[in-house]
Amino acid sequence: MGGAGEMNATGNIPELIVNGKRLDGRAFDEMRPIKIVAGGLKNAAGSAYIEWGNNKILAAVYGPKEALPKHTQDPEKAVIKCRYSMAPFSSLEEHGRSGPNRRAIEISKVTREVFENVIIREDFPGSEIDIYVEVLQSDGGTRAAGITTAAVALATSGIPMTDLPYAVSVGKTGEHLILDLNKAEDNYSDADMPVAIGPRNDSILLLQMDGTLTKEEVMRGMSMIKKAGQTITKLQKEALRAPYESIMDRYK
Amino acid sequence: MSRIVVPGELLADKPIRMEAGFIEGNNTYSTLLGIYHEEKGVLVPLEGLWYPQRGDIVIGIVEEARLNAYNIELNSPYKGIIIAKFVETRLQRGDVIEAEVKEIDETKTVVLMRPKKLFGGKIFDVKPSKIPRIIGKQNTMVDQIRNGTKSVIMVGMNGRVWLKGGNVALATEAVLKIVEEAHTTGLTERIKALLGPQSQPQQGV
Amino acid sequence: MQPINQVKGEYVRELVNKGIREGGRDLLEYRAIDVKHGMLPNAEGSAMVTIGNTKVLCGIKLDVGEPMRDKPNQGNLMTLAELLPLASADYEPGPPSPDSIELSRVVDRGIRAAGVIDLDALFIEEGKVWSVFIDIYVLNYDGNLFDAASLAAMTALSNCKLPKYENGEVIRGANLPKLPITNTVTSCTFAKMGNKVLLDPNGSEEAIMDGRLTIANDTENIVRSMQKGLHGAFSEQELDHLLDKTFEKSKELRDIISKSRSD
Repeated sequence: MGGAGEMNATGNIPELIVNGKRLDGRAFDEMRPIKIVAGGLKNAAGSAYIEWGNNKILAAVYGPKEALPKHTQDPEKAVIKCRYSMAPFSSLEEHGRSGPNRRAIEISKVTREVFENVIIREDFPGSEIDIYVEVLQSDGGTRAAGITTAAVALATSGIPMTDLPYAVSVGKTGEHLILDLNKAEDNYSDADMPVAIGPRNDSILLLQMDGTLTKEEVMRGMSMIKKAGQTITKLQKEALRAPYESIMDRYK
Repeated sequence: MSRIVVPGELLADKPIRMEAGFIEGNNTYSTLLGIYHEEKGVLVPLEGLWYPQRGDIVIGIVEEARLNAYNIELNSPYKGIIIAKFVETRLQRGDVIEAEVKEIDETKTVVLMRPKKLFGGKIFDVKPSKIPRIIGKQNTMVDQIRNGTKSVIMVGMNGRVWLKGGNVALATEAVLKIVEEAHTTGLTERIKALLGPQSQPQQGV
Repeated sequence: MQPINQVKGEYVRELVNKGIREGGRDLLEYRAIDVKHGMLPNAEGSAMVTIGNTKVLCGIKLDVGEPMRDKPNQGNLMTLAELLPLASADYEPGPPSPDSIELSRVVDRGIRAAGVIDLDALFIEEGKVWSVFIDIYVLNYDGNLFDAASLAAMTALSNCKLPKYENGEVIRGANLPKLPITNTVTSCTFAKMGNKVLLDPNGSEEAIMDGRLTIANDTENIVRSMQKGLHGAFSEQELDHLLDKTFEKSKELRDIISKSRSD
């Protein structure tokens, strides 16, 4: 999020909407193409890979296992540990620093909180579940794509959950609400609102917002997200079913 | 009708008690990736963890040999323990054992009994949700592997397989094929074909 | 290490003592190797190498930087390796471990010693040169990270773009020339177990190996870097033999890289 006013001063804001279409030709409520593959990493308890537009993200799950160091244990339920990180070669710009920065630490935290809601943690007191999200290539919306991927990775691990969350963001440029911002849109839009939803009850599990939106826009944004969520949920389910169905098809 | 379901997916618009399902309001939902058999109201996990139950046979590794008890690693968040005075021979760190779950105490520690030490052999972990299929109805599948490979095979409910002697490579191949194809029909026949004619119980002996 | 890996290792030792390996592979045989490149277009170069169940990704970025004071006309090369916690239950998040530092330095030495990158060609103008950042990302561990990482780095370098520097701006993206590569280096890693030596150790074999030797070379008879690891010792005769084996096996690896260039 750049903040439009600030950019005005430089006189350098690119026009994000041309002839009623976005720069990459999408309609306002259109997501980028999404491809999800469940599994793939042998050592992890669960894993998944996503290509969401130009984002390429791996997620893996380890555990549940004994929480260490011991003082991190909760005698009532499993603790979730989450690390979101971006590869130093992930952006089109310069080489990044390795190791999590303040942004990555915050994203790790809000991602963890999404899954604290849905994982049935009471089944595994004293244990920990580790969720790793590695952004190999980034083009805006990596936290949402990371959460969507981690949900699939968790499902492949057999860790019980009450829901299969997805996430996507909605933003605003000029008077238009736009779904699923890419990097360029994210940099120059007037608002950005990433949201994670538990589709079973449409419960809001992650909500962040930055910029300027009216109440009406927030609510309209939420319905755009839920509509997109039907597609994302469908892709998550297909990805989870695919490895099993391909083996079943072999013996039809 | 049966279908593949994911965590949070609606199974029934009425409350049905079932393993790996949960009830909220008047609905029943899945907690796992599994196959839901609607008529039977049964959810068979495709991916699932091991929840220890009394009587389960497990394969563990001695992690720590203390004076009065052994800590046993069970490929699980649940820790295993064996009270030393119930064991005839002293166990050592790194020993592989087969044992039976005696009880699960209030701290979710799995108390084991009747440990048998497994010497040498090959050990590997598989997803616990695949274990029932490796064993088969009335042990049919595991017996088939035994007969077809002449290997000694032990299967732990905690998602662990131990093999020794005979054709270990073939036995491993059979187990991994069962793991991959656990959710398909006609698997027994395909494993039979893989193992060859010796895998069938001999008639009249 | 997970207790199960120790137990698995004991079984592997039993087999190796009889001269056999899991999966029926010869003592001096690689597992199946798969190499892909260019999957990360944001990076100037990228490659993914799979050896058995070991999976290593390499990403390369080029930035404009300052030259080293003692080499004002040469570009910079920096190699880093991350043993990502998603690759193994034994890897922890946090600062680089000695293992990851050793891995990156061994890969780096081979590339430098063999003069793979023409560093003189990376000079831009007085006080400005290209810095090449090679990042090794271990995605799944099942032994022999050294050969997988050097193969990934070499493949990514061989297919790496060189951005343009115009009017103080770096121009990246498509339609760029290739980074000038003047040589090809690969490595062969051997594990010693008792009196047996095996090529391309997998995870269970590495769990019980006593010694490890990595030999990097570019052409027949020329060695570019070596690294012996762990407490176990190698004899002179073994070294002699393993150098020959490296010369022989490295042909297959160089073929894989040259094939990637023509894709």
